[in-house]
Amino acid sequence: MYPFMRSSALTLAVGYVSLGFAALALFATPLWYAWRVTIQDGRTEILQADAQRLTDVFRREGAAGLTSYIDMRVGMQIPNERFLLLTDGSFKPLAGNLPAWPAGVPAQSGSYTFDVQAGGHVTSADFVYVALPGGYNLLVGRDLARYAHLEQRFWYALGSAVGILSILGALGGVLIRRALMARIHGIRQTVSAIIQGDLSRRLATNRSGDELNTLSQTINGMLVQIEQLIHGVRNVSNAIAHDLRTPLAELRSRLEELTLTKPSSEETFAELEAAVADVDRVIRLFNALLRLAEIDSGMRRSGFVALDMAEVAADAVEFYQPAAELKTCTLTMISNGAAPIRGDPVLLAQALGNLIDNALKYTPEGGHIKVEVRRGPGQSVGVSVSDTGPGIPDAEKSKAVERFYRGDASRGTPGVGLGLSLVDAVARLHGSALAFEDNHPGLRAYFMLQQDALQPIRSSDGALSLHPNDARLLHPTA
Amino acid sequence: MKILLVEDNERVTQFVIKGLKESGHTADHAGNGRDGMFLAASEPYDVIIMDRMLPGDIDGLAIIEALRKSGKRTPILILSALSDVDERIRGLRAGGDDYLTKPFAFGELLARLDALTRRAQGEGAQTKLEVGDLRVDLLTRKVTRGDRSIVLQPREFKLLEYLMRHADQVVTRTMLLENVWDYHFDPQTNVVDVHISKLRQKIDADFERPLLRTVRNAGYTMTAHD
Repeated sequence: MYPFMRSSALTLAVGYVSLGFAALALFATPLWYAWRVTIQDGRTEILQADAQRLTDVFRREGAAGLTSYIDMRVGMQIPNERFLLLTDGSFKPLAGNLPAWPAGVPAQSGSYTFDVQAGGHVTSADFVYVALPGGYNLLVGRDLARYAHLEQRFWYALGSAVGILSILGALGGVLIRRALMARIHGIRQTVSAIIQGDLSRRLATNRSGDELNTLSQTINGMLVQIEQLIHGVRNVSNAIAHDLRTPLAELRSRLEELTLTKPSSEETFAELEAAVADVDRVIRLFNALLRLAEIDSGMRRSGFVALDMAEVAADAVEFYQPAAELKTCTLTMISNGAAPIRGDPVLLAQALGNLIDNALKYTPEGGHIKVEVRRGPGQSVGVSVSDTGPGIPDAEKSKAVERFYRGDASRGTPGVGLGLSLVDAVARLHGSALAFEDNHPGLRAYFMLQQDALQPIRSSDGALSLHPNDARLLHPTA
Repeated sequence: MKILLVEDNERVTQFVIKGLKESGHTADHAGNGRDGMFLAASEPYDVIIMDRMLPGDIDGLAIIEALRKSGKRTPILILSALSDVDERIRGLRAGGDDYLTKPFAFGELLARLDALTRRAQGEGAQTKLEVGDLRVDLLTRKVTRGDRSIVLQPREFKLLEYLMRHADQVVTRTMLLENVWDYHFDPQTNVVDVHISKLRQKIDADFERPLLRTVRNAGYTMTAHD
């Protein structure tokens, strides 16, 4: 198991309990103070009222009257409920329940707290001392021990509160930790399985929407992306193996044949030229792959500028127009005015070029190709290229953007099978994906450009914003 | 032309030097950064071909930066296997004038060197271009061949202008894509050829002597000579 002392749940619980203690102390201190003050004041007031009453008796009935009144009071009250003492001028007790005038009573009338000897033990008491006319002295007091149990109860209550808080806190800590550990353990198990190579595993999630759940969902999203990438890489390696081996095999046999047959120099020359063309095919494939990887890494947003997609499309249409004419196809452009967007003009032109090129490849003579750029809701721009060719069967539509995918219809046509992958990568860089639908007849390929997906990413040294003069050298051409 | 090649790969060096000499240029070679730096700083060259990754402490970009700081304006073509956009930008920022990625076709290299030196010599404020009996007035945008006037679309005019500015030089398809259409990618198809053949229809078809010629395995050239 995991060391308990290092558990973050424990730290959390201890922190919360400490916080609880602090809150309790902050709450109890003023309460205690208010209680003390109120009780003390109340006690003094009661004693003063009592002393006043006795003084009134003294005024009305004289020392003898007060003496008998005190005797009566002492006789009626609960033992030591109230300390009463009346003395003459020489502090000789005349009446009351204190055996002698306590030492340490100040000479002035007033309220005091001091210890007295009563009922065989020393106790602390509040007193009101009144000097009566004729040298008589009156002491009215109250035993503080009578309140001690109240204070005690207060401290007991506070102590229990602290105890309950500690127990609940510790219990809470243990429970939270156990719940947390259970989930973390689940995550660890899943992650371990993924480390072992089982990329299909996902973290358990529920609908609670708590932090761990959100985190799990985010991690799952990441796993999906990683799995797709790895899947893509696997497919690509297979495809590369096939697509690169073919021209390399041709090249090899061509060269080997030359060394074996030693043909005339003219024939040799022709063979060598064909060999260079083979190599060029390989280089072209490599460049396309590198470019795809570059776009896919998502770091190509350095080339993002404000542009008019309608203009980019119009240029592309103009560029491909002669090729369309040559094939007796029509190539038309439709837009609803300017389509301002932030994007990479070179990549967008290439993506659109690939789509038009693709459409030209598959549309039979006399067909129609339509490029549409429409400003959509919000700040999005929709781009589509429709043709009247054979289209793609529904089952193959989703596969068409995969690297090196070549539909049955494309067998025997030139191309490396990366064109649509590149369009898809460019579309994703601009906040959407390449999709296909039927054009009845033909194929309609479309993607959206999203304004808000286009926060350009700068490299750490900030050096990647494009200078217009840089642009002409930026992009590899095979 | 006097050309300096700073390149450490022997096969590439042999290939380029031989090709340059066969094309009638003089070429010096430096196999590392130190020698390259020394030659580039001390000898007057028309153009320098600079590899980026060189043995020793000095790499190609450092040489270019040092040369530019010391005020040398010799055109430099960077020849490198580093093909990323970022690397290209870095090369240009350092002071390179053109960037060619390895592997490359010799025709492409030669054509780019020609374009670089021509640019360095300054095209001046030419307003009229002439190849044989084909004349282009850049101000009125009139094109005539012999005594016949030829009507061109704006893009065709731009294409013709670029070809005529580089008359008697080989111009590759890539150079045309970059300079006429501003397209910095490989459009996979032969669209450039289609544009050229359309242009050819207009300027050459009715005339005995073709001016716009295809150069095998390289590109096109506009010339009145045979």
